[in-house]
Amino acid sequence: MSLPEALAERVVLVVGATGNIGSAVVRHAAERGAKLVLTGRDAAKLDSFWVRGLLKTVQADVSTEEGRLALLEETPQLDGVVFAAGVAPLAPVRYLKEAAIQACQHLNTTVPLLLIRDLLKAKKLNQSASIVCISSVAARKGTAGYAAYAGSKAALEASVRCLAVELAPKAIRVNCVAPGMVESEMAEGFAESASDEAMEAHIQAYPLGIGQAADVAGAVSYLLSEDARWVTGVILPVDGGFLL
Amino acid sequence: MSLDQFIEDFEEAVEDVEVGTLSPSTNYRQLEQWDSLSVLTVIAMVDADYDVRLKADDLKGCESLEALFAHIQSKASS
Repeated sequence: MSLPEALAERVVLVVGATGNIGSAVVRHAAERGAKLVLTGRDAAKLDSFWVRGLLKTVQADVSTEEGRLALLEETPQLDGVVFAAGVAPLAPVRYLKEAAIQACQHLNTTVPLLLIRDLLKAKKLNQSASIVCISSVAARKGTAGYAAYAGSKAALEASVRCLAVELAPKAIRVNCVAPGMVESEMAEGFAESASDEAMEAHIQAYPLGIGQAADVAGAVSYLLSEDARWVTGVILPVDGGFLL
Repeated sequence: MSLDQFIEDFEEAVEDVEVGTLSPSTNYRQLEQWDSLSVLTVIAMVDADYDVRLKADDLKGCESLEALFAHIQSKASS
C-alpha cells in the first residue's frame, strides 16, 4: 500500500508518540521517509526514541493549554499530524466515575479539536496536509463497559467528518483509522479487567485474529501519503474483520 | 471499610444476586450469576467504592468473599 519513500520529506507530528500505536506509527512513517516531530508526556521514553528522520521530540501534556502552547512553539510547518493519544476507562455505567468520563472525553475528543484549532490558527499546516486521528471499532459496536470510551471515539469520528468538509478548501484531508484490539497497553488494560473466557470470546470475534500496532501504522502511513490524496472524511477500520 | 459492607456492595454489584444471600465464606466464582460482566463490574465497583485497582487475576485467586475483602484491604494499605 505505501511505497518505501511514500512519505519522503513530509514533516509529520505524532501526538502520543510513546504509546504502542503511536510508536509503531513513528517507526512505519520513518521507514517511509517522513521527517518526524514527536510528542508525549513521558520525557524518558521520548528521549530514548531514535528513528531515521527524527527532527525533534517535545515533551508536552497536550491535554493542557500550557502543553499545547509549548508544543506549538516547537512545531515546524507540517504536512501531517497523527493524533494517537488516548485513554480508555472500562467500567459498567453504574460504576463510571464522573472524572473518568470527563478525562476520557477531554483527551479523546476535545483535545484533538483544540490541537487542530491551534495548528490552524498558527498556520502550521501546509496546503495538502493530512490529519489522521486514531479512533476505535468501539465507536461502532456496542460492548458492555465501554460506554465512555466508545462515546468519545464516536464523537471524534463525527468531528473528523465535519473537519474533512471544513478543511477541504485548503486541500487538508482529515481521516480516522479505527483499530480493533491490537497488542498494546490499552489491550493489556482490557485483559486485566476481563475474565479468561471473555478475553477468549473477544479474540474469537476477529476473523484474522488480533492485530499488531504495525498493522494500524500501515493504514496511517497510507492516509498520510499522497496515495490517499482523494481520501478524506473516512473512518478506516483496521480490525481483522471484527466489524464484519 | 467492613466485611459486612463489602458483602452488601458485592451483592449490589452482581446482577440478580439477592441482598442478604451471601456470606463471608461464599465462593463467588461458583455463583450462577458469575460471568464476564460480573468480573468487570466487581473490578469497577472496588475501584469506585474502595479506590483499589483489582485485576481479573485477583478475582480468580480468591476462594471466598472474606478472602477477596482481605486482598482488597492489603492492596489498599500498600
